[in-house]
Amino acid sequence: MSTDNETVKVWDPFVRLFHWSLITLFAIAWWSGENHDMDRHRQAGYAIFALVLFRVFWGFAGGRTARFAQFLKGPGAIAAYLKTHDGETPSDGHNPLGGWSVVALLSVILAITLAGLFAVDVDGIESGPLADWVSFDQGRMASEWHEGVFKAALGLIGLHVLAIGYYQILNAQNLIGPMITGKRDRTKGEAAADVTWSPVAALIGIAVVGALTWLVMSGFKLG
Amino acid sequence: MTRVKPMLLTAFAAALVAGGAIASAASPADTIAARQANFKKMGGAMKALKDELGGGADKAKLAAAARTLAATARLQGALFPAGTGPSSGVKTDALPAIWTQKPVFDAAAGKLVAEADKLVGIAGSGNTAAVLAQFKVVGGTCAACHRQFRAEE
Repeated sequence: MSTDNETVKVWDPFVRLFHWSLITLFAIAWWSGENHDMDRHRQAGYAIFALVLFRVFWGFAGGRTARFAQFLKGPGAIAAYLKTHDGETPSDGHNPLGGWSVVALLSVILAITLAGLFAVDVDGIESGPLADWVSFDQGRMASEWHEGVFKAALGLIGLHVLAIGYYQILNAQNLIGPMITGKRDRTKGEAAADVTWSPVAALIGIAVVGALTWLVMSGFKLG
Repeated sequence: MTRVKPMLLTAFAAALVAGGAIASAASPADTIAARQANFKKMGGAMKALKDELGGGADKAKLAAAARTLAATARLQGALFPAGTGPSSGVKTDALPAIWTQKPVFDAAAGKLVAEADKLVGIAGSGNTAAVLAQFKVVGGTCAACHRQFRAEE
């Protein structure tokens, strides 16, 4: 907690683990989808589903900078940030604009997985675990949404990478390092406290999300 | 029951004639629409089979879906006359290879009918494991033919 340290912890381990796991799994899901490796595609999808659910939970129960209430700001704060931001003063976690980017990314990725759960392929052979709750035509529609929102997600991911490149190169602000180590350099006189998190909350989240994911994977067929 | 069978046969023969008529007289657009509708019907039947095999395994539903699949598969062979490929200008995923390798395509179409018939034979048996195995064989014939003769989406 000492403010004498030269670095400050800004991202709790679950935020970082979530971030890098999501990238890896998104790549696996993309690759397996393109190559019709549907068993692997479904596995990657379940893992992504669990990750995003956990991140939403963590948005209420995680470390300071993980919480939606901490980083979702109104239009006034966004305008003020755009006007005053000098490219040198780091935000405490997500900046007012980046916070909404997080919500947008989480929303599209959740939408892709939800559509995927009901999706049916053109031959009626491959399908998501909940596809038997819908008709063939509805399943085909889910499949088109799955694909359409995926393209939107690629656009948002591109924007996300561009924004990081902007801070990294034009503002000399290292955003990638802290997402790996959790720490960033303190600016002079900055009094921000280290991020703390509750292992109990994390365990509860993992248990609840694990159970929900298992239910979805089994198509809500119990026994 | 003995009265139903001739009726079904008559309906089936009518469908065959209609299919033949479409193939000989209809425009490429009509023929393509007809075979696409049939493929969709088969997709629906495959989904119905899969849903039942993964859930209730209702014998009557399995048998009905298998019959739809086999009957519809029979109609498809006649719905690929020359001139109904991409060169017709109508939007279709049918690749030109269908017509340059017609005997291979016809054999694949015949294989689907044969495997679908086998599925019809056991669908109502109650032997879920056997039905599932044959369902996978049928799915395999779909996939094999599509890899060779259908454009990627």
